[in-house]
Amino acid sequence: MTTTRMELVCPAGTPATLRAAVQAGADAVYCGFRDETNARNFPGLNFSRDELAEGVRFAHGHGSKVLVAINTFARVDEVDIWKKAADMAAESGADAIIAADFAVLEHVAKNHKQIRLHLSVQAAAATPEAIEFYAAHFGVRRVVLPRVLSLQEIAALNRAIDVETEAFVFGGLCVMIEGRCYLSSYATGKSPNLNGVCSPPEMVSYDEEPNGTAARLSGFTIDRYERGQPVGYPTLCKGKFKAGGKTSHLFEDPVSLNAGGMISGLKGAGVTALKIEGRQRGKGYVSEVVRAFRKALDAVEAGGDAVDVDRLLAGQSEGARQTAGAYEKKWR
Amino acid sequence: MRSPNAEPLLPGFVRRLFPTVAGLPLGPLLTLSLRSLAGRRPGLFERLGEYRSACFGIDPVDLAFAFRVVPDGQRSSVRVVSKDNTAGADVLIRGPLLTLLGLLDGTLDGDAMFFSRIISISGRTEAVLALRNTIEDAELRPSDLLGLHGILARCVDTGVLGTLGAARRLADNSPGEA
Repeated sequence: MTTTRMELVCPAGTPATLRAAVQAGADAVYCGFRDETNARNFPGLNFSRDELAEGVRFAHGHGSKVLVAINTFARVDEVDIWKKAADMAAESGADAIIAADFAVLEHVAKNHKQIRLHLSVQAAAATPEAIEFYAAHFGVRRVVLPRVLSLQEIAALNRAIDVETEAFVFGGLCVMIEGRCYLSSYATGKSPNLNGVCSPPEMVSYDEEPNGTAARLSGFTIDRYERGQPVGYPTLCKGKFKAGGKTSHLFEDPVSLNAGGMISGLKGAGVTALKIEGRQRGKGYVSEVVRAFRKALDAVEAGGDAVDVDRLLAGQSEGARQTAGAYEKKWR
Repeated sequence: MRSPNAEPLLPGFVRRLFPTVAGLPLGPLLTLSLRSLAGRRPGLFERLGEYRSACFGIDPVDLAFAFRVVPDGQRSSVRVVSKDNTAGADVLIRGPLLTLLGLLDGTLDGDAMFFSRIISISGRTEAVLALRNTIEDAELRPSDLLGLHGILARCVDTGVLGTLGAARRLADNSPGEA
């Protein structure tokens, strides 16, 4: 069990959302630059160099930390783009860089010893051996855990390692081997691991057809919605496909993670920080989610029960459906 | 009583107050407003990136006219057009006027409005996302569009946003109309 207060790490897709998250009670916010060096590379999202520096000043002025995600993998002939992003993050005064690529980790470890290194979930490091390798070679101080581990597995991991762990508690789920998923590459020719987007928006379309609205990615029909039915953003892993004569969500259901009821369990398992996913989400969403988890975390740290986060945030989950994900692994 | 999820349309008596397309001064006024905003907040238009030169068709379903907007900084333009003159726009955004205004001032969440089908969007999804993210970050107030500052700005913001809020409540509670 971790004896220090757990940190609440919150998404900041834009400067306005960074301010909203900090004011809602984030202990730390994470963000990225306006390019392919981070895994939320959407048009109009993210920070310029100046915006990041201003964001760091604002966050620090309110007692919050800033973590910069440089967590995609560098292309072999353009590694300098990722190194430059790391340099800008360090110059801005940010508190940590979240990375997965060896070139980025090495560059930061050698040239910016003053800034903490956090291992991104994109590294898919889920064993003591993998985590200790990154700690020993690059000085990684914290690892963001893949969203496929149970509470028992996380507890066993924390007993075996000397670095901090950060666990997702709310938002989009990824149950693939993160950083190595090729679904989007197959469909779009663009890799989320290199370009930073699972469903490039220029390849997304919503087509009104006689039998409903078809949500497509690069011409592939990902899902079909009846007239008036809420639609979703077409992501391959959450799509409906025909196999064996049946149509179903083959890879995963379009539901969101909500582990608000497991905060005590995660603390007991030795987790250092709780992470909210959603850099592409709006200020209203981020403020509401951060406030709810702030309340819940403070209650647990004070020795009480977590407030009913499930009820507070049910409406914010994808498809209004939630899951505790792999933390409970009831299917085993 | 209207279902809470139904579109908050302007009541009929309000819609009749808006003139038809011919003779509207709205286009030049909104163009001036947008270009003035670009002078005061250039970063907003930089965030749009290459999509600042895209043409956005904005179609309030409860008005008799629509808009073609090109948010290209100091070269921005807003034209009031007839409903069938939105074809050819890179993006077409359709929805109740109060909802569209709510997206602009950040009262309403664009994702929620789109995914729940209160607004419909067609065309270049990447341009839509750029616009949505830019507006999200902009935290626009009526005073921003009017170029006002200080106490006057606060008064206008309070007045306009309060009026819009009241109009939304009125629209939510209005009986359905043909």
